[in-house]
Order: sequence, then C-alpha cells, then structure tokens
Amino acid sequence: MAAQGRKVISRASAEELGSVSHLVLDSDNRRIALVVVGKRRKARVVSWEDLSGFGADAVMVSQDEALREPQDDREQAAAMGDLELLGRRALSDLGNELGKIDDVVFDPDSGALESLVVGEDERPAGSLLGAGSYAVVVRADGAESAPRQWQS
Amino acid sequence: MKLLVTGSSIRGLPVVSIAEGEDVAEVRDIIYHAEAGAVVGFTLNKRGMLAGRLKQGLPIEQVHAVGRDAVMIDDGSQLVAPEDAPEAVGSPETERDVIGNDVLTESGVSVGAVTDVVVLAGRGGQVVGYQIKLPGGGEGYIPLPVQLAVSGAALVVPDVTRDFVCNDLVGLGAAVDEFRARLGIA
Repeated sequence: MAAQGRKVISRASAEELGSVSHLVLDSDNRRIALVVVGKRRKARVVSWEDLSGFGADAVMVSQDEALREPQDDREQAAAMGDLELLGRRALSDLGNELGKIDDVVFDPDSGALESLVVGEDERPAGSLLGAGSYAVVVRADGAESAPRQWQS
Repeated sequence: MKLLVTGSSIRGLPVVSIAEGEDVAEVRDIIYHAEAGAVVGFTLNKRGMLAGRLKQGLPIEQVHAVGRDAVMIDDGSQLVAPEDAPEAVGSPETERDVIGNDVLTESGVSVGAVTDVVVLAGRGGQVVGYQIKLPGGGEGYIPLPVQLAVSGAALVVPDVTRDFVCNDLVGLGAAVDEFRARLGIA
C-alpha cells in the first residue's frame, strides 16, 4: 500500500484536494473504510464509497464535498493518526506479538483487504480479527501454538 | 512443547480486546486457587501512566487467551463489575497466597520454596508448575499434578517431583507431560 502521499483529485473540479496520509480498515468487513487526507488537525476524510477511483497516480473523488470533516469518535481517532495501520503492532489472538504491520494489500477497485504483511509473513485477509489504536489482531496460525522461541 | 508464562510476567500485561484492537486494561494481579490448580481471574489496573486500579475484574472464563505479550478478551464487555463477579474473583483478598510456601514431598523432603506460579498459555489459566528457590540456593521449576494438598504453610507434592526439577521454563514445558504421565494423569 504505497498510497501515502498520493494526490487526491476531484473529478468534478479537477482540483487537487490534498494528499493521502493513510488508510483506515473496517475490520468487520475486511475492507478499506476510510482514506485520511492531510495530517492531524488539518486532516479530512473520504469514505471509500465516495471515491471514484483509487489509481496508481491519484485518488479520484467524484466531487469536492466528498472530502469532509471527521464525524464520529472513530473517524476523529483516524484523523489523528491513531488507527494508522503501517507500523502498528500485530498481535495474535493467543496474545503473542508477531511484529509490525509492514504492508497492507488490498484490491484498489473494491477496497477489499487481501492480506497483511507482517515481517516475512503474509497473513490472509480472513485472519484479521480486529484493528485499533493498540494493535491489529490476527488469528494465530498453526505454528504459533508450539514454536520454541516463545518459550521464555 | 507448551508455551509457559510466569505469574510475574503476566502482571502488567495489557488486556486487549480482539474485536476492537484496543488495550482496555492491564493486569494488576493474578488470582490463583492452588487447590483448583488454576488461575481463576485477574484484578486490573487502568492503562497508562499513573492510572489507578480498575473496579472491574476479569474472570478466567472470560479470557480468550493468556499470551506472552497480552491477555486477550473478545471485547470490552468481558470485564465484570465487582458485584457481578464470581466470588473467587470479586474477593481476591481471600485467596491463599502460595508465594514463600515450602514445597514438601510426600515423604517429607523439601524441594524448595515457591517464588512464582507458572501458567500454561492459552485458555483456562491452568497452573502447571511453580518457580522455586532451591534448598541449595538458585532457582528451579517443578511441574505440578492437576491437584495437590495445600495448607497455609506448605504444599505437598508427589515424591517423583524431585526427578523433574528443571532449570528453566523450556525444560518445564517438556517435563510437565512426562511428569503427569508418570503419575498416571492424562
């Protein structure tokens, strides 16, 4: 997801509205829910549904109004960067840290999550259980119940 | 091989909601019932610097898994108010503290004094061993049968325990099954 810094362009006015700061996941539906544009107090958000295209060179929105103020608590947290995925701690549901989220692979047409990259490991979208400000939680794989390095 | 964690390493772990990915509390203390051979729950602190004690507790039945880095719960609703908690969790001061107790074999030989409990990671909070201070000095680990006799002062373990004193948790992880097999416990 090298989406960071990608320009956000209005299809209606052809104006550049800003640049992508990060993407926010809807962990229940395992898809990208929100694009955060700009940083911190100046951050605005676009719902994935309001995008007309997530292209290699630019993120297109149908009209300028699609870029809006964050509304509920979760959107506020997203705008403040609290839900940024990259670099977030990855935790298994068995309570063991797996590393950091290094990349998020998704379908640019549908926004559907395909996989989460944690170090050398690629975890399928289906293993995602929850994502918040503390951790991204994924289902433990078979290997985790046993390996020696967790015996401390 | 089993993943084992000591009581002291569980203290301070974040309690993380799986559905929300949030740290909703942290473990203040573990509530252990020696007769049952299991952790029955946790008392909690709020998260963050200078945060105080949380009124709610966490019964072990509500825990999805105890891990090396976190105690996992399904979502925030698993924390229970003191008045709704099972008696064992709501009144932790009634717990019989085993730390410092002498461990004696059935034939009356001291194996050492308990310094910590060793918990099997995952569900259920099963206590599978103790960390002990060996009579000759130094630290060791012993496996436990599923149930054992406990008084305020001493714990009585099978004689065969002396053959299974381990130097570290890795050794204990391997020893627990063999120990229980020797005693004829599944």
